[in-house]
Amino acid sequence: MSEGEVAEKKNSLGFWRSSINPWAVRTKDNPERLAFVFHRISGFLIIAFLLAHILETDSPVWSQLIYHVNGWTFWNHLMAIEAGLAFRVGEFIIAGAVLFHAPNGIRLLLSEFFGVGIGRPGDPKPPYVPGTFTASQRTWLYAVFVVWIALWIFAGIIIFT
Amino acid sequence: MAMDIEAARRTPPKEVVVRVRRYDPETKKTWWQEFKVEARRGMTVLDALLKIKEEQDHTLVLRYSCRQGICGSCGMVINGTPRLACQTQLAEVASEARPVITVEPLYNFPVIRDLVTNFTEFFNKHRSVKPYLIRKDKEEQENPKGQYDMFPDEYYQIYQYSSCVYCGLCYAACPVVAADPQFLGPQALMYALRFVNDVRDEAWGERLIMVDTEHGCHRCHFAASCSAVCPKAVDPAGAIQALRSKVFKYRLHLFKRRVSKVIGPPPEKGERVPLPPEATLLPGVDLKKLEQEPVVIQLPPE
Repeated sequence: MSEGEVAEKKNSLGFWRSSINPWAVRTKDNPERLAFVFHRISGFLIIAFLLAHILETDSPVWSQLIYHVNGWTFWNHLMAIEAGLAFRVGEFIIAGAVLFHAPNGIRLLLSEFFGVGIGRPGDPKPPYVPGTFTASQRTWLYAVFVVWIALWIFAGIIIFT
Repeated sequence: MAMDIEAARRTPPKEVVVRVRRYDPETKKTWWQEFKVEARRGMTVLDALLKIKEEQDHTLVLRYSCRQGICGSCGMVINGTPRLACQTQLAEVASEARPVITVEPLYNFPVIRDLVTNFTEFFNKHRSVKPYLIRKDKEEQENPKGQYDMFPDEYYQIYQYSSCVYCGLCYAACPVVAADPQFLGPQALMYALRFVNDVRDEAWGERLIMVDTEHGCHRCHFAASCSAVCPKAVDPAGAIQALRSKVFKYRLHLFKRRVSKVIGPPPEKGERVPLPPEATLLPGVDLKKLEQEPVVIQLPPE
């Protein structure tokens, strides 16, 4: 590769611009991208919750080593903190993340591993609507959004009452 | 992207402000420059940019060729969406309420100058999936003597993907390319599927193993923005999912496909080609009888 090409490559988008790109590009008629963003954010939330949950359930053990107190005393103390409103809101957000991630994950598994719901290649004609956007995966995606919102409301009722 | 066919009939605002993101490789400076263009009905973004180049600023650099959405040279990001400038009507992106359009070079590509981007990496990735027919018979590969048989349904398995114009819009819209520059990208993966689907090709195993990597088809997250911006409805997002399911089947030794045979040299001009016995799809149609007694289509009396 010549020097000139290396100099040109330096003008590619930087780390931050590249990271923001998934949110910066505007596309019409593309709820899949919204689902991708939600799937990613909900994935991070679930991982964060899982790590916090492991720490929480393990607290009777590590509290003895760190604070030199009875494990169950610390557990009860932790449970008292977690009964607060802030943690309920957190629980509600985690419920939303899980309830979106799971049905959308099923849609992605079906489409990606088994090629279901993505339509068949055909003869593109103006106005050039891609086959994937008219295939059944799009219907499932709308169903995922509906199921997600419905279950999230139900979860909210259970959590806050 | 689904075309707004009615846009050409609408009248754009009388004066459109075109904000262009410019880049000068000598000073390595990037800046936004505004131009005011007198718009008329049917004017595209490419027309507006060329008008700016002719009348206001000769130093504005852009790449274009056919002006009718065939060559795929004038891909740029217009109002945040990767689009072909020649297929984007001003009336589609500018309105009386907001007569400002922003034009940027394609994302995920290194910029050479102003709106011109470097496609070297894009084409290298395209080449890496071996986008040509490969036959096991070396002699046939080098000196083909005849044509291959192919049925209409098999043809439709590759036709859509063959209409790709290499404009790079899918690559610019892909959030995965933004995060992982080594990712093959929607165009290259779609082209891999185009040859995996092609019955005239025999190297599907090679290609499926080639894309079955960390930076291959499994990196795709099905955001489907590539399909949303594609000006030809080539649908790379669907192609990548189909490719992935084929890789899955191939790894389980379940992938099967017909390979077309050589059916002799192409016919001479005027030579009558006998129909193959499987060519008739209608039940009850006797081909031999049809050849002896040609069907005469009678027009209804006026």
